Amino acid sequence: MRRIVCLLLTLMLIFTLTPMLATQVNAQAKPKGDITVWMWKSDWDNVVNSKILDDFNKEYPDIKVNRVDIAAPDVYQKLPIAISAGTGAPDVSLIEDSALGRFVALGGLMDLTEQTKSYKDQIVAYKWDQVTKDGKVYGMPWDFGPVVTYYRRDIFKAAGLSDDPTEVGKLVATWDGYLATCKTILDKTKRLCFPLSKANNDDRWYEVMLWQQGLGYVSADGKVTVDSPENIATLEKLGEFFKAGVIADQQSWTDSWYALYNKADTGVASTVMAAWMGGFMRSWLAPDTKGLWGATLMPAMKDGQTRAANDGGSDFVIPDQSQNKDAAWAFVEFMLGRSTSQAKIFEATDIFPALIPTYKDPIFTEADPYFGGQVVRQLYTQVAGNIPKATIYGEHYQESNGFVSTAIQKFATGSMSAADALKEAANQIRQQTGLK
Amino acid sequence: MSDSAILKTSRLTPVGARRASLWREIFRARWAYLFVAPFFVFFALFSLYPVLFSLYLSLTEWKGLGPINFVGLDNYQRLLNDTIFRQAMLNGVLLFIMYVPLMTLLALVLAVILNSKRVRGFRIFRTIIFIPYVTNMVAAGFAFRLLLNQSDGLINQMLAVVDIPPVPWLESIAGARVSLCLLIVWAWLGYNMVLMLAGLQTIPADLTEAAQIDGANYVQSFMYITIPLMRPVLTFSIVLSTMGSFGLFTEVSILTNGGGPINATITPIVDIFNQAFVNFRLGYASAMAYVYFAFIFVLTLFQMRYLSRTEET
Repeated sequence: MRRIVCLLLTLMLIFTLTPMLATQVNAQAKPKGDITVWMWKSDWDNVVNSKILDDFNKEYPDIKVNRVDIAAPDVYQKLPIAISAGTGAPDVSLIEDSALGRFVALGGLMDLTEQTKSYKDQIVAYKWDQVTKDGKVYGMPWDFGPVVTYYRRDIFKAAGLSDDPTEVGKLVATWDGYLATCKTILDKTKRLCFPLSKANNDDRWYEVMLWQQGLGYVSADGKVTVDSPENIATLEKLGEFFKAGVIADQQSWTDSWYALYNKADTGVASTVMAAWMGGFMRSWLAPDTKGLWGATLMPAMKDGQTRAANDGGSDFVIPDQSQNKDAAWAFVEFMLGRSTSQAKIFEATDIFPALIPTYKDPIFTEADPYFGGQVVRQLYTQVAGNIPKATIYGEHYQESNGFVSTAIQKFATGSMSAADALKEAANQIRQQTGLK
Repeated sequence: MSDSAILKTSRLTPVGARRASLWREIFRARWAYLFVAPFFVFFALFSLYPVLFSLYLSLTEWKGLGPINFVGLDNYQRLLNDTIFRQAMLNGVLLFIMYVPLMTLLALVLAVILNSKRVRGFRIFRTIIFIPYVTNMVAAGFAFRLLLNQSDGLINQMLAVVDIPPVPWLESIAGARVSLCLLIVWAWLGYNMVLMLAGLQTIPADLTEAAQIDGANYVQSFMYITIPLMRPVLTFSIVLSTMGSFGLFTEVSILTNGGGPINATITPIVDIFNQAFVNFRLGYASAMAYVYFAFIFVLTLFQMRYLSRTEET
């Protein structure tokens, strides 16, 4: 009697379990569920407007994407708290390269080594350095910022200079040449050369100058190089521009700073910034000066040296907390791993993709009316291929940037020499981080 | 209780008797304890525990995630050499000197004027002066930022009309500190003035009348009657303002970009926030918080002792 009951029970158990096994097998098909994605508003708008989100929904009808507009500084405040609290993190978040080092050191991000294996050769090698730690990959690269010189064609012409990109490229072949050009422009047109804050300097310009020389805040073996002779010399070169009175003293990312690009009759003559700046200017920052700009290579430190650097860059990360990692990865892979998606975003924004196959897209050969019909994207690709490795971003970037910003502020306002200011910053970094 | 029960309890040892009656007392007042308990539970969870945990954290090194490493007094030792923290404390002192005496005096004078009832529509003035206090500080900060911009801010444009060259309000060390003080005084004057008004109500009118009859003028009655009798309110206002000048956060974040040109306006609270939530150094930030607490505690102690000497004087 007992044995029959046992047999019946076992059969019942098997019958109830089999359907569950069946659904397991079916679930391998397509990921589904809800995912929350954190991105800044401008990127979300571009993703939605270029219909990429619609394409994603068509391919993955069972994944529902919760759009969360969140500014970068808020991400860097909320994400660590969510990670250490164990709840509240999104399934996917956008993070800039400059902050990624901190998050990788903090922990709590999903290891994407397996998922990204197939993309190893399709993404610019330099980006893998940014997202890898101890051989593990923690983010999927989206974009980076090849740095170029943007200049106002009309102002250059008014100063008696050529406005052709190649010719301007010769004029600004070195920082010395750029300085001479600035002085000419100031003489002939009374226009200032580019905006750069003294007392509120945010160190980004200096970082670009370090990057092109392959320098940085730490050496390859982790020693602080903020006060190395080369770093000091670079700051002194920047100091020549401050002394010459050719720059507009304005804090970056303020309304007054935007006006320097947007106002045709009172704006600056040029700037040296990354490709995304061109995209910003075209879409929201300086729409009023459409057609007046051109672009060429950035200046080199010395004749013949590298005329390429990087500023910025961002990646998607998946926090370990995510309950829906498959759907999250499906989203990331669709956005960043397909050249169609990357090309569409690039078309709208000039956010330069790290995905190499994208460069074959026809938009890379289109003339851009904002830049007076120039094929700027070819310039970006040219620069992208030459970006050297530099040790700017990393675990201690935020802090180093803070101390070096202060040092530049002290130097630019004349209260300290470049050497003293950088030495002070270096010692503070050593004291705070424990690095040598 | 029955007689036998009373007899029984009286045969217990004194301690036992006390213990038994203590529990009985608690039990008798159990509803009172129950109603009061929620506050204490929240206090223990959200105030007491974090404070004690911070003390423990200050002896460790922790990123907020992962292992907590005990490092003893390392953090405190590093704090001794921390130039930014030193600057932050110095800024607190500087800001205090720059705006507290001025604002307190101004608040008192305005309160006296508005209290005299001779001013028509004094309620309107009171409201107008008080409104900045209820304005959102973030919005106010942004507005001031636009006004004070060196090249195209409204203030400099107005100064230009009378041929004054553009002042670097937010672009220089001194300017940034002054700008911060302007923002704080604008926002807090109303609050302090209302505080003083309330205090003035406690001064009996016959005192001032008697003084006037004796021939005292306004200034004399202000100096010798109003101020001494306002001592408690003044003390309160000054102590709050002192703690405020060290603990500025929103104003600094918005107006001077989180620390002002060359760390001219960084405050200890901003520094602690940066260390904890930007650099992920929770142990070090906790040590900083405790040193800051000790400093404020001692400072407040001195202020209370010095400012509120007994009313017998």
